[in-house]
Amino acid sequence: MAGLPRRILKETQRLMQEPVPGISAIPDDNNARYFHVVIKGPSESPYHSGLFELELFLPEEYPMSAPKVRFMTKIYHPNIDKLGRICLDILKDKWSPALQIRTVLLSIQALLSAPNPDDPLDNNVADLWKCNEQQAIETAKDWTRKYAMAKNNNIQ
Amino acid sequence: MGNCLKSPNTDDISLLRGSDAGPEVSSEQSANMGPPPPYQESIPIYHPSPNVSRPANQLTEEEQIKIAQRLGLINHLPTGVFDGTSKKAKECCICMEEFLLGDMLRFLPCMHTYHKDCIDDWLMRSFICPSCLEPVDAALLTTYETS
Repeated sequence: MAGLPRRILKETQRLMQEPVPGISAIPDDNNARYFHVVIKGPSESPYHSGLFELELFLPEEYPMSAPKVRFMTKIYHPNIDKLGRICLDILKDKWSPALQIRTVLLSIQALLSAPNPDDPLDNNVADLWKCNEQQAIETAKDWTRKYAMAKNNNIQ
Repeated sequence: MGNCLKSPNTDDISLLRGSDAGPEVSSEQSANMGPPPPYQESIPIYHPSPNVSRPANQLTEEEQIKIAQRLGLINHLPTGVFDGTSKKAKECCICMEEFLLGDMLRFLPCMHTYHKDCIDDWLMRSFICPSCLEPVDAALLTTYETS
């Protein structure tokens, strides 16, 4: 862990001691800057009772630059593309070093509750979301069942 | 004085090295000294915008001006030493360390306080307060740009 900024150690400790409800973030055994994240699909969202795996990496410049976060579990969402990349302002130009791993993951959880098809990353998904929301929500539920529930047994 | 033209073999670099040999080095001596060391081992990195990192020698003229202005503005922001009397400021939210007696602080116009080194690093990338997202003295910036 040599050369790891105290801030990263502190954030990691706090994440372990006071975990965010519905979110787990565990540092990799071999790389303290790489976190294995699981976010529970918020209730009253099409992702309800899904468990979504993400990877989070703290770049060398962190906290001067934002963490890199990506969904590993397939998800049908207008602001998340096929590769799992997330369209979220605080991960790009609205990043501030006062934000933390905790706040970033809470924002991603909130994005699942409130998809924003007007600022899309995946145009096909966003178009369906705008012209036939009911069908889009059904597809999101379907994908949640297919991809975010299969591996539940090895995650708490 | 007036010896600049006398020894063409000693260029500016040997003067900058501040050797005690003085400016009047014979051509034979300077030949034995080998090539002068480079001015800098590593070129400083600047961030013309938050997600862009570029060595100083690869900045556009516009970026150089922006960075120079930014440096000037940052130097106008008040600094101080943490003496433990402030009730509000306890921790620097950039490094997440508590302020210790003697730490150098910088105060932003929105009254948020950070370690000087922590906030200066950020302000060179983005001129907004990390805590309240207020532009750091937008008024001052406008006067700079219009003058």
